[in-house]
Amino acid sequence: MYREILSPEGLRLDGRRPNELRKIRCRMGLFARADGSAYFEQGNTKVLAAVYGPREVSVKSAMKHDRAIVNCEYFMATFSTGERKKKTKGDRRSQEISLVIKQTFESAIMTHLLPRTEINIYLQVLQADGGTRCASINAATLALIDAGIPMKDFVVACAAGCVDSTPIVDLNYLEDSSGTADVPVAILPKSNKVLMLQMDSKLPVQTFERVLDAAMTGCHKIYDILVEACRERTRDLVGSRGAFSAH
Amino acid sequence: FWAYFQVTVKLVKMQALVDEAVLPGDVVGNIVGSSEAIRLGPGLTQNGEAIVATKAGILRHRAPDKFWIENSQKRYMPATDDVVIGVVTEKLGEGFKVDIGTHQPATLSIYQFEGGNKRNRPNLPIGSLVYARMIVANKDMEPEISCVNSASGKAEGFGPLEGGYMFKCSTGLARQCMAPECPVLNELGAAIPFEIAVGINGRIWVNSGSVDHSILLSNAIVNSEYMTENQVKVMVGELLERIKSR
Repeated sequence: MYREILSPEGLRLDGRRPNELRKIRCRMGLFARADGSAYFEQGNTKVLAAVYGPREVSVKSAMKHDRAIVNCEYFMATFSTGERKKKTKGDRRSQEISLVIKQTFESAIMTHLLPRTEINIYLQVLQADGGTRCASINAATLALIDAGIPMKDFVVACAAGCVDSTPIVDLNYLEDSSGTADVPVAILPKSNKVLMLQMDSKLPVQTFERVLDAAMTGCHKIYDILVEACRERTRDLVGSRGAFSAH
Repeated sequence: FWAYFQVTVKLVKMQALVDEAVLPGDVVGNIVGSSEAIRLGPGLTQNGEAIVATKAGILRHRAPDKFWIENSQKRYMPATDDVVIGVVTEKLGEGFKVDIGTHQPATLSIYQFEGGNKRNRPNLPIGSLVYARMIVANKDMEPEISCVNSASGKAEGFGPLEGGYMFKCSTGLARQCMAPECPVLNELGAAIPFEIAVGINGRIWVNSGSVDHSILLSNAIVNSEYMTENQVKVMVGELLERIKSR
């Protein structure tokens, strides 16, 4: 039986409107060992991010004398998808996503402040329901902030698609695999600079512009949520010391 | 720490965000063109006409012209004149390699000890703790530390730390313990006699009469990180009770 991605009343399969995001939950500072860590949930997609760095470069030949190198490893847990995944690391999709996220953060982290070091970002998807690369980028942003690594701005990512020439934001797995275009985009919210933009499938140019706008609006909504979470945590961490100043 | 403040910019308006939580990307000030110069510390950078925060933390101001972001992180960023605790990892020809938690180990030369020279080598076995001061700390060079006050040539508290117990903490908690009035240290000091050395690199060393007391000290300090003064009093009281009842 064919289920419509977008019903005639304008509701999607899970009851959302075309421009509504899934429910987002996030937490920072989970791991004692990692320099920074975060947990990010977007609907049923759950991602853990851990950041180690800046630390000594493990492969000396890769060391850069004037900036830090950023390494990223993205992998999905075997239990994250509907059917058990046999090969979680090193398969093409994970490698591609690792590379894309690494390049995204190389532009956002102020690498010239930390020469001859490396920053390692480890992303693990615990449950995948569409939008894993966007959720991973959001989780990695929180983990980097938790680690105190200097960044130009937050990096927020959101994906959008298009059904019957209506852009829909934040695709879940069913919508993603139904054949609509999938346009994940990552931006620096304050300046609206695009750090990552990908697209599956084809779209006419005018439709693409509307889908991109919808994705960027979704990014800004996610940014508001991340900012609130970060500000609360910063206030707890540093502000609870009251009238304290060691200097 | 003050050696961080290398960047100076001319600016007029610093928005009223001092002592507020700021996040990366937040614009905290604008260059409007005037003769007043301010100095930017860790966590702040200049982006065209705006001063932008690059770390999440509280914006602090010290009159007349220093602004910086105060945050707490696990990793220590070295700065000259910081006091740190290190672990000796290697013996070199003219000194030691000491791990201070930065991405590269620091060097400690034998001449950086009171009365240290080739004939009077300081005896530091591998694995021993040292309390030292950063003398070279910038992003381009290997860090260097010293166990002597350069002005007077005397040790003045620096040098190897004998006995005791060292534990790691965040940089924020270390700064808290170095403040003139630290609630948890005052509470503990009223109850047990102990010695403490705080390294701003997130390491704290405590030494007291018995193992029980050392464990209690380290637990109390680590617990007190996010507590208010009253909560600290209650927590320390509970820990002391537990010791007495053993």
